[in-house]
Amino acid sequence: MVKQKSAKLTIGVLDVIVLTSVVALVGFIAYRVNFVLIYKWDWSVIPTYLFRWDEKTASLVPNLLIKGMIATIRVAIWAMLVSSILGVILGIARTSDRLLPRLVSWAYVEFIRNIPPVPFLFLFYFFISSQIMPILGIDEFVYSASPQKLAVAEFMFGPANLMTNFLSGMISLSMMSAAYIAEIVRSGIQVIPKGQREAGQTIGLSPFAIMRYIILPQAIQRVVPPLAGQFITLIKDSSLIALISVQELSFLAMEIAISEQRFFEVWIFTGFMYFTVCYSCAKAFGWLERRMGAHRY
Amino acid sequence: MSDGTGKQAMIQLRGVNKMFGDFQALYDINLDVYQGERVVICGPSGSGKSTLIRCINRLEEHETGEIIVDGIRLDDDTRKIAEIRAEIGMVFQLFNLFPHLSVLDNCTLGPMKARGISRTEAQKLAMRYLEKVRIPEQAGKYPSQLSGGQQQRVAIARSLCMSPKIMLFDEPTSALDPEMIKEVLDVMIELAETGMTMICVTHEMGFAKTVADKMIFMDEGRIVEEATPAEFFTNPKNDRTKLFLSQILLH
Amino acid sequence: MPAIDVAQSANSGKKLNRRKVRWWKSRTFDFLQFIALIAFVVWITWRSAAAMDYRWQWYRLPKYFYRIIDGELIWGPLINGMFVTLEIAAWGMVLTLIIGLITAILRLSDSFAGQVLARTYLETIRNTPLLVQVSIFYFVLQPILGINNPLWTGILALAFFEGSFASEIIRAGINSVPRGQWEASSTVGLSKAKTYIYVILPQAVPLMLPPLTGILVNLVKHSAILSFVAVFELTTEARNLIGDTFMSFEIWFTIGAMYLVVTITLSTLVGVLERRIGRGR
Ligand SMILES: Nc1ncnc2c1ncn2[C@@H]1O[C@H](COP(=O)(O)OP(=O)(O)O)[C@@H](O)[C@H]1O
Ligand SMILES: [Mg+2]
Repeated sequence: MVKQKSAKLTIGVLDVIVLTSVVALVGFIAYRVNFVLIYKWDWSVIPTYLFRWDEKTASLVPNLLIKGMIATIRVAIWAMLVSSILGVILGIARTSDRLLPRLVSWAYVEFIRNIPPVPFLFLFYFFISSQIMPILGIDEFVYSASPQKLAVAEFMFGPANLMTNFLSGMISLSMMSAAYIAEIVRSGIQVIPKGQREAGQTIGLSPFAIMRYIILPQAIQRVVPPLAGQFITLIKDSSLIALISVQELSFLAMEIAISEQRFFEVWIFTGFMYFTVCYSCAKAFGWLERRMGAHRY
Repeated sequence: MSDGTGKQAMIQLRGVNKMFGDFQALYDINLDVYQGERVVICGPSGSGKSTLIRCINRLEEHETGEIIVDGIRLDDDTRKIAEIRAEIGMVFQLFNLFPHLSVLDNCTLGPMKARGISRTEAQKLAMRYLEKVRIPEQAGKYPSQLSGGQQQRVAIARSLCMSPKIMLFDEPTSALDPEMIKEVLDVMIELAETGMTMICVTHEMGFAKTVADKMIFMDEGRIVEEATPAEFFTNPKNDRTKLFLSQILLH
Repeated sequence: MPAIDVAQSANSGKKLNRRKVRWWKSRTFDFLQFIALIAFVVWITWRSAAAMDYRWQWYRLPKYFYRIIDGELIWGPLINGMFVTLEIAAWGMVLTLIIGLITAILRLSDSFAGQVLARTYLETIRNTPLLVQVSIFYFVLQPILGINNPLWTGILALAFFEGSFASEIIRAGINSVPRGQWEASSTVGLSKAKTYIYVILPQAVPLMLPPLTGILVNLVKHSAILSFVAVFELTTEARNLIGDTFMSFEIWFTIGAMYLVVTITLSTLVGVLERRIGRGR
């Protein structure tokens, strides 16, 4: 009646309406682009920003767009690592018997859920970075480090002059993501039947051993798919740190669009790049999950 | 009430009351269980049978009164609790096997992580008890691959691996298909013959007649009748016991 | 039923004195510790702010909320920005519902073209960042479609973004009504449309309300991204003010608090709705 019939799709009134609307919209856009704006597409700027010819090594090297994508993925991986650790702790705290850890975790999650990401990012960047970063000695490190050390640091955290920005951006992304991971972990733990814990207690296991050997191994099974989704969310959300000048894909796209005055092509292509990466991640995770599912108990 | 020898009871409950919020689940429970004694508890659903035995290994905390197990008084002292729990085996209605671990690993987890026994030792121990419950050939399988009766026998073996002094059974057969009940009861009877101290919540009256030293009937959070099986089945004192027995023996 | 033995238990009449909980394990103590922790975090923030090489000028802030000129009340940029943010959220919600509803209908229909369109829309929104979506709306679609107000471009971008969530909420709500309801309706001769109106929606809508209100919270939160494309909502006003006054901390703290007041109010409303509806069932 509703969707179960999807096997035998027929051409109905709705198809006609949908097709007509789509054709009308495409037609309108084509009309506006070609006859009103009289826009001349020039996609040739894109390839030069993907790869450029390096005279020194006489080879093709990645240019800004590819570098930006790499920076985006780098931020996402870091943020995933940090927020997983924080999120697992918060999630476990949320299921504690004691009120204190529950309250702390609850307050954190509600705070992050209700504060808009953009002001949080700026607040964090301006306030915390001026406080914590000097204590960590990032700038000093950048000035005094040996070239090898600096190369390693740049590989891991991006350009030296923007390391403070990178770290504040990465940490604030992690703090936001941790709240969502905490919720994932909490529900992963809470769906495990009470009897599992009780059975652990009756064979004399300590609360830690129960968590480590009984609850977490079972929770992980349920938590992995949404965590994979959270990684994709991080790839997308990392575009926000362009606002504090971290040179990831969105920031560089913005710069290229302005310097080349090619807003249409650059933004459409940037969207396409994000789509490709996120969509293939989603497909890959889905495939892995199905493979893992086959080996489940 | 006592067996007259004057030796101290393995489990002593004195005036135990248990609340769930405003609801009182146990009223003034007094009970002694001696070493090697087999006690069968029955009573209608919701009468507090599970709550009573769960208080004995402190899965539930009682409000007032005293519970002494093997000379140790149950209170808030967490170190003692783990110690006591390791000495008390418990078998649940719904088995509560660990689904992510193989049968063997289910059995070795306690000895290894609570007692610190080496893996090889623990595995030897586990195999011995899996043989006792007659499923050594299933050691490598996962719980979901076993029948209900087999799962419950694994649960019994898992408890025995901790070499408990006391075994608690909470309706171990009531979630099983009829044809599997016997295989579990047989294992329990064998266990009883080894001299294990046992408290069983069950409605299997045939089993009760065979093994019980003492019958307890509970209703609305109280122990209403306590008697030897002979007396209990032939000459129950309490009207509610009579009614209950007439209903259950009809089945 | 005789109750002889009830009376005989010695304790039953007596009032139970609750088991003594040691004070450091009590909930009250945990709660006090929590308050202390919050106080500590606030104190640390305040201390490090004070120790900072920064001139705090909170006293300059009120005039950016309102001024009274010639006895007339004039809202300052912060309040105006808040109004714009709320306006975006309100109109955004209307559009979100329309887009969500259309998408849900297409997804639930057996129209092939409808399915393809809905899925393409959903996958595109799900796999690209909101910032890029907003950029494409602002830099590409705004000139192409000839929208002459960036505010509306922003609202449209947000609505397309939130619409993907709304459509899933609506679809899940409708699918949660058991199939038997459809069968029962057809046996009493209701058409498909009438079944929706009289049977399905009355059951599904209460389930959808709390998460749909959650979308309103998200609209408020995500509208801050529009500061990127010169929509004069709260965050843009804040950034401009900081450019003029250099009071970056005072202003970021203030607008952070302003957002929290709005979103927490709305979130609390969601909670109340959820409990109301949960109880009604
Ligand atoms: N965790 C709990 N919270 C609140 N009430 C409970 C809880 N556990 C049991 N009860 C109540 O205590 C009473 C006794 O339960 P239980 O001991 O499980 O009975 P039985 O095992 O005899 O069927 C029941 O009325 C039950 O509803
Ligand atoms: Mg029970």
